Amino acid sequence: MNTVNVSRRRFLQSGAVAGGGLVVGFSLSSCSSTSAPLPVDDAQGAWTPNAFLQVLPDNKIRFYTARSEMGQGVTTGLSTLVGEELDVNPLEMEIRLAGVHTDYVNPDFGMQGTGGSSSIHAHYLQLRQVGANTRALILEAAAQDLGVATNTLATDNGFVIQGESRYPYAQFITTAQTLSIETDAPLKPVAEFRYIGKETRRVDAIAKSTGTAEFGLDVDLPGMHYAVVVRPPVARAKALSVDASAAKTMPGVTDVLEVGSGVAVVAESFWQAQQAAKQVSVQWESVSLNRVSTEILRADYAKALDTGDGVEGPNDGDVSTALSSAATLHEAEYWAPLLSHSPMEPVNAVVRIEGDYADVWTGIQFPSAVPGLVSRVADIPAENVRFHQCYLGGGFGRRGTPTHLVEATQIAVATGKPIQLVWTREDDIQQGPFRPASLMRIKAGVDEAGNLTAWDAARAGGDISPDTFRSLLPALYSWMGDGMIEGVANISEWYFENFATDESSTEGLFEDYDHPNTRVTHMTVDHELPLTFWRSVGHSYTAFAKESMIDELAHAAGLNEIEFRLQNTRNNPRLNNVIRVAGEHMARMNPPDGHFLGFAAHHSFRTDVAEIAEVSVDNGSIRVHKVTCVLDCGQAVNPDIVRAQMEGGVVYGLTAALYGGLNLENGAIKESNFHDYPMLRMDESPEIEVIIIDSGTEPTGVGEPGLPPIAPAVANAVFKATGQRLRSLPLQLA
Amino acid sequence: MIEFTLNDQPVSADVDPNTPLLWVVRDHFKLKGSKFGCGAGLCGACTMHIDGAAIKTCITPVASVMGKSVTTIEGLGTPDNLHPLQAAWHEHAVPQCGYCQSGQIMAAAALLEQNPNPSSDEIDAAMLGNICRCGCYPRIKRAIQSASEGALAYDAMATAGGQA
Repeated sequence: MNTVNVSRRRFLQSGAVAGGGLVVGFSLSSCSSTSAPLPVDDAQGAWTPNAFLQVLPDNKIRFYTARSEMGQGVTTGLSTLVGEELDVNPLEMEIRLAGVHTDYVNPDFGMQGTGGSSSIHAHYLQLRQVGANTRALILEAAAQDLGVATNTLATDNGFVIQGESRYPYAQFITTAQTLSIETDAPLKPVAEFRYIGKETRRVDAIAKSTGTAEFGLDVDLPGMHYAVVVRPPVARAKALSVDASAAKTMPGVTDVLEVGSGVAVVAESFWQAQQAAKQVSVQWESVSLNRVSTEILRADYAKALDTGDGVEGPNDGDVSTALSSAATLHEAEYWAPLLSHSPMEPVNAVVRIEGDYADVWTGIQFPSAVPGLVSRVADIPAENVRFHQCYLGGGFGRRGTPTHLVEATQIAVATGKPIQLVWTREDDIQQGPFRPASLMRIKAGVDEAGNLTAWDAARAGGDISPDTFRSLLPALYSWMGDGMIEGVANISEWYFENFATDESSTEGLFEDYDHPNTRVTHMTVDHELPLTFWRSVGHSYTAFAKESMIDELAHAAGLNEIEFRLQNTRNNPRLNNVIRVAGEHMARMNPPDGHFLGFAAHHSFRTDVAEIAEVSVDNGSIRVHKVTCVLDCGQAVNPDIVRAQMEGGVVYGLTAALYGGLNLENGAIKESNFHDYPMLRMDESPEIEVIIIDSGTEPTGVGEPGLPPIAPAVANAVFKATGQRLRSLPLQLA
Repeated sequence: MIEFTLNDQPVSADVDPNTPLLWVVRDHFKLKGSKFGCGAGLCGACTMHIDGAAIKTCITPVASVMGKSVTTIEGLGTPDNLHPLQAAWHEHAVPQCGYCQSGQIMAAAALLEQNPNPSSDEIDAAMLGNICRCGCYPRIKRAIQSASEGALAYDAMATAGGQA
């Protein structure tokens, strides 16, 4: 194991960073005799002042990225934060993807996880402080070594400057190792930023343009065998009988074994394993999901909504009275289907077990889950599980569920071989976990002055959190027995069905507008489908319902769509400002004949976004020509990556809006690959313009907030073009 | 024994002739830059050049490239010696997750080889077989346009003009 346990000082105290509670749970814990060694590279003569940085004798600076890089640009963003205060160009650093260690927890989560568009926000002060303190130590060491006062020294991109002389940081690391600082070094004022907020490139672009970036699927070990799992067409069904006699005689096949999720076929190559898997014949048990089709799913949701009986969310004022006295009253129902994440890299993992030790390679959003999970399955100590993070070939929430690690570990244990487990694209699309389907109803009232007076919203569907919780629990609580895990998971489901709304189920359905009378109701309807977070989570469907409804209300009340939104977001000034700027932009747009502009705005992950979709409809086909995206995400650490994330959110959301929909038939997903689960391609990709408003606040999320407004913006444009209100996703004209 | 040329080197592989070229290149020759995305020729992550044409190799039996010339992303350029398209990909910060980009670049390189100055519609048509879930399409198009002959000639003129 490439590990070095160098002498480290705890120069960052937990919570000592400006802002205090922001970094709870963060410590550089060398002072604790029980802390695990840092999983950093063993580099001869290098100085490792903390978990994030190594200064090498040749003056290379290594940066260990604690968050998972799935395309959102987090390695560039975080290296920019630390580089700003360390005074090293982030593009010249050597980037390493960090292993598992308590120092790498996400300050927002208290565990090592990447999601919720949280990374830049969560690490903004922490990593700058790491950079500032490391630079202060180098300056102090330089002052000692050069025999001058610290205040005669400056820095410039990895060099200490004294008068006309430039000394590489590395020259002072021997002395720096003997020093400690008592207080936090001051952070730069915004006006002095050299890298934050500037137009720079991505640190990973060259590796990702030359085929040299290593994804989980690219890991190749001596003696490694490949596994494919034959899975039940209906989720969670168990095998009643298995006939693998033909598969076992196929070339390269070494093992066929039952694992909890299906029948694993192991071969010398992936191709052989995949071919042999097709020859395995399995009789699957029938489960309750077998009776369910898309129509039944939707009908069950409608029945639940009809009862009016659910878990109450926010309930302010008197909605019933306000609705009955509204000058304009409107009610509508919106549908969003099951979706697959379909990252371009199918889910995979490599597990090698040798004696009491395990090595694991995969690209995953929750590295904290790895040691506990592998430890439980392989029955080895968690501290003997070494995790090697890889680049994630897309995440979108899919790589927060670690069930593939369970499979890979089971197979590695049973066969005694290093195993690469690969999900096929068919597995990916048919097995989930899915973005849940949702049926939403909103009833709203507007008074004669155009004020929104009442908002009565309900959503029926499955809950995301308890299901994701179920997959992470065995990993995070490795001391709990399987029975106890099952019990806790069941309690969590029961709790959300009966007592409290899972925040992910209704987030975004009611928060953005001013309505003194508000009622939110949630009906959990669980069909035992595996569900999880999907880029922008609940907002991915609630924004469609909410922003369609707002548009319908404005139209019903005879009000301008922008004025109506502005008038009813006065208590939400940042969103109000984004709507105003985007509205002014829209007023200046001059679309050609036959093109129509649709508008939507939404707050998610602390960020406010408005989008204008320029749409035409030809022979019943919807074409999106241009999308203008206006956002306020506070300080844009890397403006070009902010733009890229908005572009990505628009394309991902537009793919779902125009095409996305998985269908159930007898409990099984009908779609199987990109021919029947189509993706937006270049010819349909709109021109995307991004306008960033800098409100001067600390950074807020960008990975997800670009997505929610696009579906309603397109639907609202289609209404203008055709007079048809499309209230079901994907958008299809009658 | 299947013999062909891989990135200008003569190679041979003793494998099942039905094995898709993608897996021979990845698992036999250990070149991991070409990716598996769908296994059905639908996403383009596995795109390589076979005698100069962009081909989806996850459905191309290795036997069919007998005697032919195969180029992968590794043969196009390296971090120290970037192909103009790879330089443009860096310049325009094209990749997000990056997984599809080898295939995208191979498709774009074959296009520019045949049509050094493609129109926007011609770029769309040539890139239709390559999916990017991260939504890098606008940047991919800008990068291709910037690396096209017209753009390079314009750059050269501008540089020469600037120096004059």
